[in-house]
Amino acid sequence: MSETNAPVADAAAGDQPDGHSQCRRRPGEGVFLLVALGFAGWALVEAYGIAGFTSLSSPGVFPMLAAASMVASSLFVLLDVRRRPPAGASGWAIAAQFVRHVVPTRHVVVLALIVAYLVAMPALGFLASSAAFLLLAFLYLWRRPWWQALLLTITLTVAVQVVFRVVFQVVLPTGSLGLTLPGLSF
Amino acid sequence: MEVVAQLATAWLDPWLLALTGIGTLAGIYVGAIPGLSVTMAASILISFTFKWEVDAALALISGVFVGGVYGGARTAILLNIPGAPSAIATAIDGYPMAQRGEAGEAIGLTTTMSVIGGMVGVAALAAFAPALASFALQFQSRDYLLLGLIGILLVGSLSGESFAKGVFAGALGVLIGMVGLDPMTAEGRFTFGTVTLMGGIHYVVAMIGFFGVAEALVQLHSVDRAAVKQRIDRVIPRLRDVRRQLGLTLRASGIGTVIGALPGTGGDIAALMAYDHARRTTRHPERPFGQGAKEGLVAPEAANSAAVGGAFIPMLTLGIPGDAVTAVIIGALFIHGLKPGPLLLTDTPDLFWFLVGNLALANLFLLVFGLSGIRLFTKIIECPRAVLIPIIIVLSAVGAYAIQNNPVDVYWMLAFGVIGYFLKVYGFQVGPVILGVILGPMMDANYRRAMIGARGDVGTFLVDFVTHPISLALSTALLLLLIAQIPGWRRVFHRRPPADSG
Repeated sequence: MSETNAPVADAAAGDQPDGHSQCRRRPGEGVFLLVALGFAGWALVEAYGIAGFTSLSSPGVFPMLAAASMVASSLFVLLDVRRRPPAGASGWAIAAQFVRHVVPTRHVVVLALIVAYLVAMPALGFLASSAAFLLLAFLYLWRRPWWQALLLTITLTVAVQVVFRVVFQVVLPTGSLGLTLPGLSF
Repeated sequence: MEVVAQLATAWLDPWLLALTGIGTLAGIYVGAIPGLSVTMAASILISFTFKWEVDAALALISGVFVGGVYGGARTAILLNIPGAPSAIATAIDGYPMAQRGEAGEAIGLTTTMSVIGGMVGVAALAAFAPALASFALQFQSRDYLLLGLIGILLVGSLSGESFAKGVFAGALGVLIGMVGLDPMTAEGRFTFGTVTLMGGIHYVVAMIGFFGVAEALVQLHSVDRAAVKQRIDRVIPRLRDVRRQLGLTLRASGIGTVIGALPGTGGDIAALMAYDHARRTTRHPERPFGQGAKEGLVAPEAANSAAVGGAFIPMLTLGIPGDAVTAVIIGALFIHGLKPGPLLLTDTPDLFWFLVGNLALANLFLLVFGLSGIRLFTKIIECPRAVLIPIIIVLSAVGAYAIQNNPVDVYWMLAFGVIGYFLKVYGFQVGPVILGVILGPMMDANYRRAMIGARGDVGTFLVDFVTHPISLALSTALLLLLIAQIPGWRRVFHRRPPADSG
């Protein structure tokens, strides 16, 4: 799995000093660029809506310039990408590649966990939601026995709570249920 | 005398001393562990430390910065995975040395030379920043606009796959920076009538999203990659080696400082240029370059450490961050109510000298930690990504929440994380986005001031760009930068044989 993912992962890591254009399109690249172009166009219209062309020093001029640069640059990238051969023979093949290389199951599961974590945080509080998230994420990603994941989760949750409350004095959401470690609910 | 006292602040205060030490040590690990980055750590730390005294927060963050730039070299040598972009050149000769069982020697030598390079950079900061700051007092609004543009475009053109992608990323950042009430007229921009968006999107939230969450999502691809175990013995470098490489180290440090000080170029470019310099000037290396030449290890490491001090020069005197990492540091200064720019040195000289002393101290800690604790180090960098990724997510969530205690920020962070992930997958860099977020509002304000100064007349506005010496120099630089991106011109440029083809 990791071997098949390597090209996308490496390209995605973006650590190349002066990256070269790939020969083939990446799966989903065209659609992504169209979305980017659409967003840029929408931003341009919105930016025009701020003050129109009333004055050259109005609050809307700079946003319009930025949005126009986005439209122009995304068009440029899109034209460049269209010159390259597509990632697959058919739409279905490209979609399959997109799922495999860009949003594989692992990403979908982890993203779902993150969303659930963030949504649950206001109700459960930082402590309980983080502990639950860490435990589930470790169980899913880390191929170790469940008790190791549990042990690590407990250690980390206590460490994070102590470090944040005591050293950094960060206010963490306690949640409407008010779950917290005894002695640290100040 | 006063300056000496200010320089020594971090050295004499036990709390600041400890924070700098902890920061440097943590930075070494952050830089070394594949999957963690300095930008990620610094972004998250800003939100954790914003309630602290400014000195304490900066001590910790600059320690992490100095340690992190160096830490990337460790994994470059041991695993052939540069922990940070600035360590790419280090891997070329460092990894062959490790393969030969000389990892300890390589690490010892890089540590020593990094510290020398770092000290040269700090000395340059102390020597040149005050002069540049008083020169920068003559800069007009349009000059700041030009500097901001040059900074974003340079980062965009040098780091990404194509210039157009860099422009897109930079403009996206500027747009994100525009959201909220306009500071000049209090009109809403991209607020859609909601109160939530009126305060704007906090730049730290954007940083954590783009550097923390997005990076974690990218790392998910390589969760199964096995950690490589390494044995390291001797770390203290031989005096003979240090003496032999000192000349090259100092030259590379000079290159690093200058490249670091240019807007848009940071440690990664500095290291590659110093590597190229070492290749061209070393007549008889002990081993050929690419097969474990010590020169090829020393030059990039001295240069990228020197670039730290260099990068602080434009950041503190002009308020222009040179790269993504300094953009994050500038965020740390903003959040403590400081305005980096020519007035920083006259209004708060104590802070400037404190930073200089602190960077020097961090380099000293680097020497101590760099040459010790190797056994523990090899254990920690084996930490699997499956454990790291969930931790990064939790830290990012806390960081985004803590900055304003606003749950909405956490959703923004996730959104930026997902956008950043797709940008990275399709070959866009997120560095220019952050530069845009930081510089956008400054450029907007300066553009409008310059336009109002020209009484709204486009002709006068444009003529001002070429009739004042500073503006003319900067306009020329911007124009050259743009011309160099024209495809035809690039082809001519690329046809020349590369200097390092030997």
